[in-house]
Amino acid sequence: MSQWILRGLKTGIKTTPYPARAEESAGVSPGFPVTTNRPETEARALAARCPTAALRQVGDRVEVDYRRCVHCYRCLRGAEAPMNWEQGFERSTIKPGGAVLGAPFERSIHIRVVDAGDCGACLNEVRQLNNPYYNMHRLGFFITPTPRQADVLLVVGPVTDHMRLPLQKTYDAMPAPKCVMAVGACALSGGVFGPSFVAGSGVAGVIPVDVEVPGNPPPPLAILHGLLMAAGRK
Amino acid sequence: MEIGTLLAVFCLLCGAGVVLALLVSDRRNPELLAWVGSAASLVLMLAAGQALFTDAAFHAELWTVPGVGALVVSIDRLSALFLIVTALVYFPVSIFTVGYMRRYAGHYSLRAFSVMYLGLFFSIALILAAGDVLLFLLAWEGMAILSYLLVNYEHEEERHARAGYRMLAMGEGGTLASAVALLLLAAAAGALDFASLKQSAGGLGDAQRWMVFLLSFFGFGVKAGLVPFNSWLPRAHPVAPGNVSAILSGVILNLGIYGIARVNMDILAPSSAVPGLIVLAVGAVSAFLGILYATTENDLKAMLAHSSIENMGIVTAGLGAGLVFIASAHPALAAIAFLAALYHMTNHSVYKALLFLGAAVVDSRAGTRDLDRLGGLIHRLPWTAFFFLVGALSISALPPFNGFASEWLTLQALLRSVELSSTAVKLVFVLSGAALALTAALAATCFVKAFAMGFLGMSRSRQAAAASETGRSMLAPMGILAVLCLLLGVLPTYVIPAIDRAVVPIAQASATEALVPPFFAASPEHSRLPAEFAAEFHDLGAQVGEDFAPGRGLVVLHRGGESNPVVFAMSTTYGFVMLAALLAVTAGLVRWLTRKRRVTRNTRWDGGVRRLLPEMTYTATGFSNPVRVVFNAVLRPRTVEDTRETVAEHFRTAIRRIRHDVHVMDRYVSAPATAAVIWIARTAARMHHGRINAYVAYVLLTLAAFLLVAAAF
Amino acid sequence: MSVATQFCQRALDQWPGRIQTRQEARRSLCEIECGKEEVIEICAWLHRDADCGFAGLIVEELAADWELRYVFHASDAPGWVHVVLRGPLSEMVFPSISARVPAADWHEREAEDLFGLKFTGHPYLGDFILHNDAWQEALCPMRKRFDALKPVGHREPDPDWRPRRIVHAPGAFAMPIGPVFSGVTESAHFVLETVGEDVIRAFPRLFYNYRAVEKIAEQRSVDDVLLLAERFSATTAFAHALAFCQAAEQVAAIEVPGRGGALRVLLAELERVRHHAGAIQEICESTGLAVAASQAAILEEDLLRLSGAFCGHRYLFGVAAVGGLARDFFDGACKNCVGEAKAIGKRLDRLEEMLRASSSFLDRLEEVGSVANRDARSYSLVGPVARASGLARDLRKAQPYAGYGAFRFDVPRESEGDGYARLRVLFAEARQALRIMEQAAAEIPSGPVRASAARASSGAALGWVEAPRGATFHWLRIGESGVVERYRIVTPSFINWRGFHLAVENFAFQDFPIMLASFGLSATENDR
Repeated sequence: MSQWILRGLKTGIKTTPYPARAEESAGVSPGFPVTTNRPETEARALAARCPTAALRQVGDRVEVDYRRCVHCYRCLRGAEAPMNWEQGFERSTIKPGGAVLGAPFERSIHIRVVDAGDCGACLNEVRQLNNPYYNMHRLGFFITPTPRQADVLLVVGPVTDHMRLPLQKTYDAMPAPKCVMAVGACALSGGVFGPSFVAGSGVAGVIPVDVEVPGNPPPPLAILHGLLMAAGRK
Repeated sequence: MEIGTLLAVFCLLCGAGVVLALLVSDRRNPELLAWVGSAASLVLMLAAGQALFTDAAFHAELWTVPGVGALVVSIDRLSALFLIVTALVYFPVSIFTVGYMRRYAGHYSLRAFSVMYLGLFFSIALILAAGDVLLFLLAWEGMAILSYLLVNYEHEEERHARAGYRMLAMGEGGTLASAVALLLLAAAAGALDFASLKQSAGGLGDAQRWMVFLLSFFGFGVKAGLVPFNSWLPRAHPVAPGNVSAILSGVILNLGIYGIARVNMDILAPSSAVPGLIVLAVGAVSAFLGILYATTENDLKAMLAHSSIENMGIVTAGLGAGLVFIASAHPALAAIAFLAALYHMTNHSVYKALLFLGAAVVDSRAGTRDLDRLGGLIHRLPWTAFFFLVGALSISALPPFNGFASEWLTLQALLRSVELSSTAVKLVFVLSGAALALTAALAATCFVKAFAMGFLGMSRSRQAAAASETGRSMLAPMGILAVLCLLLGVLPTYVIPAIDRAVVPIAQASATEALVPPFFAASPEHSRLPAEFAAEFHDLGAQVGEDFAPGRGLVVLHRGGESNPVVFAMSTTYGFVMLAALLAVTAGLVRWLTRKRRVTRNTRWDGGVRRLLPEMTYTATGFSNPVRVVFNAVLRPRTVEDTRETVAEHFRTAIRRIRHDVHVMDRYVSAPATAAVIWIARTAARMHHGRINAYVAYVLLTLAAFLLVAAAF
Repeated sequence: MSVATQFCQRALDQWPGRIQTRQEARRSLCEIECGKEEVIEICAWLHRDADCGFAGLIVEELAADWELRYVFHASDAPGWVHVVLRGPLSEMVFPSISARVPAADWHEREAEDLFGLKFTGHPYLGDFILHNDAWQEALCPMRKRFDALKPVGHREPDPDWRPRRIVHAPGAFAMPIGPVFSGVTESAHFVLETVGEDVIRAFPRLFYNYRAVEKIAEQRSVDDVLLLAERFSATTAFAHALAFCQAAEQVAAIEVPGRGGALRVLLAELERVRHHAGAIQEICESTGLAVAASQAAILEEDLLRLSGAFCGHRYLFGVAAVGGLARDFFDGACKNCVGEAKAIGKRLDRLEEMLRASSSFLDRLEEVGSVANRDARSYSLVGPVARASGLARDLRKAQPYAGYGAFRFDVPRESEGDGYARLRVLFAEARQALRIMEQAAAEIPSGPVRASAARASSGAALGWVEAPRGATFHWLRIGESGVVERYRIVTPSFINWRGFHLAVENFAFQDFPIMLASFGLSATENDR
């Protein structure tokens, strides 16, 4: 056992300074296109390149709907006038009509994660939250095995037909107050998969959503940001 | 009223009941039986209560049989105790009969049932009141036949006939052995009444003592359900009607204990410690095997039958310890041990009757006794579930119920073996104590399984899902027994002096002196307590309640001897009061703190499966499987089938595993014995080949043999 | 004589007059067209005697008839055999080959559920992808007439559905796990049959994440379907995207330039190392060895950040393109990336040393979830699972693609087939992947990274890649107008989940999560 203790001590502290300070390392976030001013024809061409209608041409501006962006990079690579790109990751929002937890949950929330048809990347990013780099325990976030003790329901995936009932049951099994966090493009808009006869167009079609975290997949820091928002700390 | 008058009233009631049962219509018979049965029980309780609590004893000679002797009826304190227990069980069971026997209306004769039931009551009372060997054996045979008829009441089922027959056959074997024992004693005394037997018992030689002990212990042990002759019990209980099972376990098993007690404690006190050790060891082994098979059994009534074996084992172990203490000249310890045994016997009758009545209700309402097919009954039969829970808590020896008090006393009595001198004796005590402790743990497992699988969770069969609660006439007796369980557990300091009155004549010492110190100032013996002792316990609060509670005190105390100055104290009374208070306060606090909160009810969390089916929940077999695995060497299940079916070499379509349990005593005792008897019978049957010439030759040979014998003498 | 030619010759020798063969030398392909009477024999011969791996069954509803294509590949030399069975659309009954080729079991069940075909001789059709307690029979969503975008109005689930019980013992019960169970896990349902101590049998019920990717890909452009291919199992996104692109390139006869090929290899191996670090982390976490799990998690996150810094996305989205790559990389950046990956590789080696010395950890892995070599072969298992059971098939060696033939590397192989063997294979493969990366980055050919825009063409082809979890096969048929007409994906998880049941008989319940983790299966990759 001692070799493991020594190894752990030698590794040192890897934890990200976020949210106290900004995280500067490379590769922590894929970034997003940002709303850009372009002449109308260019704007229309750019909007036409987007396969999920995340880009919308409004006059001489290309507006970005983050909930639909699937990181296909078509507006960046191979485009004549590429979109402006930004590496930030704090793009979570509170859905209009949604409510976050606030006091007395600010300092500690328990999260139940449900995979409702996810591709695997969003779930893997959620798993990284427990690794020494992100260490969500230091922020008071814990994953629980049962919805009975959960405050936040974190859902990934467009909600496939087979997972509608289990998701509904999980939501019903959580005691109030509860907060639903939809993570990833699929959970917000169905991504590239929905809507179809088996895949829905997002979690909002099944249970009421409070916090939305866009990305495909959103990096762990973005999910942390979303959790902080759900706790009422941001 | 005088005891004699009350007994006469009792006989009249039974006789009138029998006559009326024949006259009244079949349909009204259960009601009649309830009235007569309960009245007779009350009368008997009054009579026996007088015999136990006052100094009055009853002794009467009925007619004299020419050439043999007088038929004596005598009720001393030991008989009185057993009579009270009998009446305590008969009272609620009689009331229960009203509702329960409806299922047999039109199918079997209810008149016959009433007649047999009252007859059985009468014969049991006669056994306990018998004062001489002849009356005892006559009443015993009557009891054996009537109980056989009652167990075999549903005589049209083949399986029932076999079970009843086995009970009768083994019972008769035991009766034969005990009769020989009693007759040996009578031969030494030259008379048949128990008083003479007792007087001349001192003059018996060693060999005779051993014969009497072995024959009476194992003979009466058959009736009590002790190892190795208990194979009739688990077969007889499931086939008997529910109320008969309650009588069987709550009353008839006690007769075996009575026989052992009467012969080995009252008439023939042991001279060496070895008989007592044998009794102790047999008791411990019975207890362990009984509960082991109960834990792995799925039929509710068979499980309760095995549990009866266990409890009788505990009682026997207490008796054995007492016998050893008497032989080692420690009468005070013997008194404690006998008291523990008789207390446990009383408790067992009460809670076992309760459990059997509960099982009878479950059987009649849910249509099945198989724990793997019950479930969810707590919603359908809430009161039955509650009473069954009280019974289960009692039998698992959990405070504040009665099982706890008597098992605690039994184990404490065994602990006193440190004061004995012989190491071998102490070793047997230690091993038996360990076995009893293991038994207690397994008993808790067994009854958690019984209650949880039977009443909690989801219904595993349609019948169980459609069950509905039973009527008040069947709930009331269970309620009475449940209240008795609580009272016997919460008021040990009143029960102990009562039972002690039966123990004192036998052990020549008082257990009350040792166990219930007079902490109350109002009690007359209070001044005899040493001052520092009383002061120490005064600080602990042992005098609480002295203003309104009568008696010596509310604390049961067990002190070691001079070589072993430890003190064990327990008070289920205080414990119960504290527990009730704590529960009430907590409930009130929770209610007040959450008065403004909203309570939402939701279905169980099942992992999101679309349908949670009963076959996805734990079964009774699954629950008890770890016990099965640990004790595999004892159980040694026979694998009947263990196959795998595959289609096209790789589709696994079925895995079949069927294992069959054979009771270890059946494997080593009953089956070989039966095989031997059948072999002997077959060999002897070779004589019956039908050839006239050979038969004539037999006659000739026999004549010649007699002539030779006559010539020799 | 090429392997494909040999196969054609031998087939003609064994079934003269009853089959027709066709060869395509460019793709090392031998196509055998036969009838219903011969198909079982031919497939059994290929699977057993000729030791071919079974890639999958591809069912297509063509204009006038059904086309059932059984795809086999040679174990150690480039060569493919497609056994093609055709039948009129009105006839929906075919013989089942799964008695002789157990690997075809789930392919036939999928065809029955999605197309409505019946396979005679298969004992367990139904309740596979579309669960019987949620959907009615005969929905057949893969038929051309079914509109995938319209929600199904009328639903008739089976009210009497019960889980399939295999154990018949008094007191046996079927403990359900999932689909939502403890931990951050993909949704899958397990039924564990037990009589109270050991679990006698575990039966997985999958397809809770079924998104009908194959169906919604139809009538979409190739570029749009590339998005689907990347994202349906995004933990190995690049491998699947690569397989899809290779299929499309074969249809359009596009040659990927050398630079594109080398960079593809670099990225694919980077993904492999990252995936294996994650798989090792899951195994350590399942056994409860927290420090090792954290160490492996650090390595996985380092590789994710490396991937993100190198190409912009942590899971390599948006890099693969038909004809090459969607973007170019600087040679220096490639060398830096490989350098950092090698540093991570050293820490991975150190982790392996420490794990091999932890006996309590090994106790939980050894002899847990064993798969025998014979079973791995009959189910044509793939990836590290197969290699741990002695079946060292690797598409990079046997059927080289993307220029893998030029690189030197070993295929690790263990024989015990238990959890520890699979762990050792994961470490060894990660080492070999780094070796390949080094060779790829040492000399990247100059030139374009993507072939010039191809002319639109139609046709059907198979693309294959040795993905981190095992071999994956993408079949693509492109129509005249340039849209996708049929897209069939056989994923390594689909193949290996079928073999999972072999390992889960008679085990203690607490070993179940370890078995799951050591197999490294992905329910979402299986479900598509």
